[in-house]
Amino acid sequence: MISIKGLSFIYNDTKEPALNNINIEISEGEFVGIAGPTGAGKSTLTLCLNGVIPHFLHGDFYGEVKVDGKDTVDNGCAKIAYSVGSVFQDPEAQIVSTRVEDEIAFGLENLNIPRIEIGERIKESLEMTGISELRDYSTSQLSGGQKQRVAIASAIALRPKILVLDEPTSELDPKGSLDIFNTLQRLNQEYNITIVVVEQKIQLLSEYCSRLVIMDKGNIILDGETRTVLAEQETLQKIGVSAPPVTRLAYMLKKEGLYQGGFPINVEEAYLMVSKVLSEKSR
Amino acid sequence: MPAMIEYIQKDSFFHRLHPITKILWTFGVLIISFLFSTPLPIFIILLSNILIAVASGIFKQVFPAIKALFLFSLLLIVFQIFFVTEGNTLFYAIPFTNIGRVTDVGLNLSLVMSFRMVATVSTIPILMMTTPMTDMVVVLVEKLKIPFKFAFMFITALRFIPTLLGEIEQIMQAQMSRGYNSDTRNPFKKIIIIIPLAIPLLVSSIKKTEKMAISMEARGFASGPRSYYKKIMMKKEDYASLFVLISVIFITAIVF
Amino acid sequence: MIRINNLCYRYRNGNSVLKNLNINIKSGEFAAIIGQNGAGKTTLLKNLNGLLKPTEGQVLICGLDTSKTKTSVLAKKIGFLFQNPDHQIFCSTVFDEIAFGLKNTGISPNEIESMVYNAAKKVGLESYLKNDPFSLSKGQRQRVALASVLAMETDILVLDEPTTGQDYNEGLEIMEIVKELNAQGKTIVMVTHDMELVAKYAKRVIILMKGTVIEDGTTEEVLSKEESLAQSNLKPPQAYLLAKKFQKQGFFRNTYTVEDMFEEIISYLRGEQNACND
Repeated sequence: MISIKGLSFIYNDTKEPALNNINIEISEGEFVGIAGPTGAGKSTLTLCLNGVIPHFLHGDFYGEVKVDGKDTVDNGCAKIAYSVGSVFQDPEAQIVSTRVEDEIAFGLENLNIPRIEIGERIKESLEMTGISELRDYSTSQLSGGQKQRVAIASAIALRPKILVLDEPTSELDPKGSLDIFNTLQRLNQEYNITIVVVEQKIQLLSEYCSRLVIMDKGNIILDGETRTVLAEQETLQKIGVSAPPVTRLAYMLKKEGLYQGGFPINVEEAYLMVSKVLSEKSR
Repeated sequence: MPAMIEYIQKDSFFHRLHPITKILWTFGVLIISFLFSTPLPIFIILLSNILIAVASGIFKQVFPAIKALFLFSLLLIVFQIFFVTEGNTLFYAIPFTNIGRVTDVGLNLSLVMSFRMVATVSTIPILMMTTPMTDMVVVLVEKLKIPFKFAFMFITALRFIPTLLGEIEQIMQAQMSRGYNSDTRNPFKKIIIIIPLAIPLLVSSIKKTEKMAISMEARGFASGPRSYYKKIMMKKEDYASLFVLISVIFITAIVF
Repeated sequence: MIRINNLCYRYRNGNSVLKNLNINIKSGEFAAIIGQNGAGKTTLLKNLNGLLKPTEGQVLICGLDTSKTKTSVLAKKIGFLFQNPDHQIFCSTVFDEIAFGLKNTGISPNEIESMVYNAAKKVGLESYLKNDPFSLSKGQRQRVALASVLAMETDILVLDEPTTGQDYNEGLEIMEIVKELNAQGKTIVMVTHDMELVAKYAKRVIILMKGTVIEDGTTEEVLSKEESLAQSNLKPPQAYLLAKKFQKQGFFRNTYTVEDMFEEIISYLRGEQNACND
């Protein structure tokens, strides 16, 4: 579904590459999380997936990016929009319209979708994101979490196979963040949409993503199954990526030689781990 | 200020009228106001505007605008009234002196001018509050053949006014928390004092613009011909309203 | 230090945002205010430095009544770090930016120079004083904003979501500076969504819901009030939930971070400590 080979990118007027020889393959239906410190190139990577780089933001582009079989250099943003939907960090700077219905129609209108179809697609997108009741609302009345869900609905109106999100919960409170991730999970599990989400909230990523990619200074440092990646505590701490506290505890215990099992990512798993460790005393 | 332009969602007769009908209404009010040259009929037109606002359920939001217009019109009255010298003297502004002579012609003229201003300008917030922006865009593009990009620019600029005003407030509060004080009577100081507000606003606006552009680009904006979801048709109510409007204009022109 | 008496705040349209708040924060405390969006946390903060004046009731900052004192005067007593540093930065050098608040309060240029340098040193930016703040990274800009607040040398520091939008290291840097300031005696009031942060740094926690205080106590006390937290859509930190599972067995009675739990496990296994069955 997504195939990136040897991707490097340097923004105009900068010397340091934002992306340095990125290679990654993502299959259909995956739910991938991308984390890393500021300046790692995560946002730049998402912009390469939706074609904004190189068509709208310019610089030196090397390598190949293919999404849903389309090469992002040979196809303009409009063509790629049929395959990749994008959601960004700031709810205010994404919403163009004053009404929810119009916002979802925006992308469809841009691509000259016939009027009759637009109505159907709006209804569908709202159902898929679970916000059908917001259809007639004014966008200024919505909470941050609701605005982001409207942004998601607007992005999937074109029925893309891939949804790319850049720190969608950055400005939201815990409940808002959960709503977004639950929506993403539903889109992934019920509609088989491939999700690629950049986030700082590693605890949330670890609960929802099956695969985790860690970036730093334009490179991919770690890429694999979530638990396996979180186990690399030394690397993560060196780069400056946080981990769920229970995973940190597991790492400390492993380093002391007190524990050899798998890395827990939630409280239930950690309970089993700590019970096991404490029972060692009786030996 | 921003609330004067934001669409207020209600389901009233006026809300349901086609944007063109409403735009023609604003012109109609303008024409009729100028056909009359005595204050009373123009005041009645003004009242009809207010009645329309009340019937549409937006009176509370329109009221600040009308109040502001009235206050401004008082200024106009004050300036005009003393410069007219024809006609019979009614009274003097400062009693027992010859200062501030107010004549009947002067009073008539000033009232006519100020009521005209309030009546014609007040139609605009009423129009904006009962018509969603996207409908305006559709009308501008389809009927008036304005290129989509321009109509979109205009509408988006309006849509961002509340957002920017929110930013200004946040910036103001952030700077005030650092001891920033904007009380100054000195006009030169007033210009400099704006800098701690203007620069963060400018930077923030430019950043928002870029993010907006990327979001629009990723949804295929301006990539080719465009369809429109909303189909706004003229209905019986529109034709009936236009008929009433044109009749009133004719009758006024002929009779008065 | 901060005395809030029967504070009520209502919007002009009559909506009540804060209802009858009574909170006293003593000198040197480190208090966290938590609650879901819309509970009134930001409104409460803005009532502390006079940006908003109470509709009813009273807020006293170091004895000054906020309804009778200008924000620019209160700025000498209570410093505010906002979430977005870009709402404040406008100068062409880091030095000028940090000095801005001091210039507003009429301090002499000689004193300003040393105060700015000290503030920059506290945040680790003393070698950046001649740089253009717009050329710095977001984390560095947040530290510039912090320095400009620190330069005012206020006794109270209020932080509105200090780690939101930052990466892990950037957030940690800011919090360690704040922790050091608290150790030196500054009173800290922090609004945050991050429960891990609350557990790690705050000594007192206040939960705000729909404009009223539903919990107010030490971190240990409040984190155990799972129902109140759940009502505000908040979850206790992982370490607390894990520790709770073992409390019947006598472990982790006073631990709220995984680091503390680790220490306890080590000493237990080495036989230095038996399970506390008191």
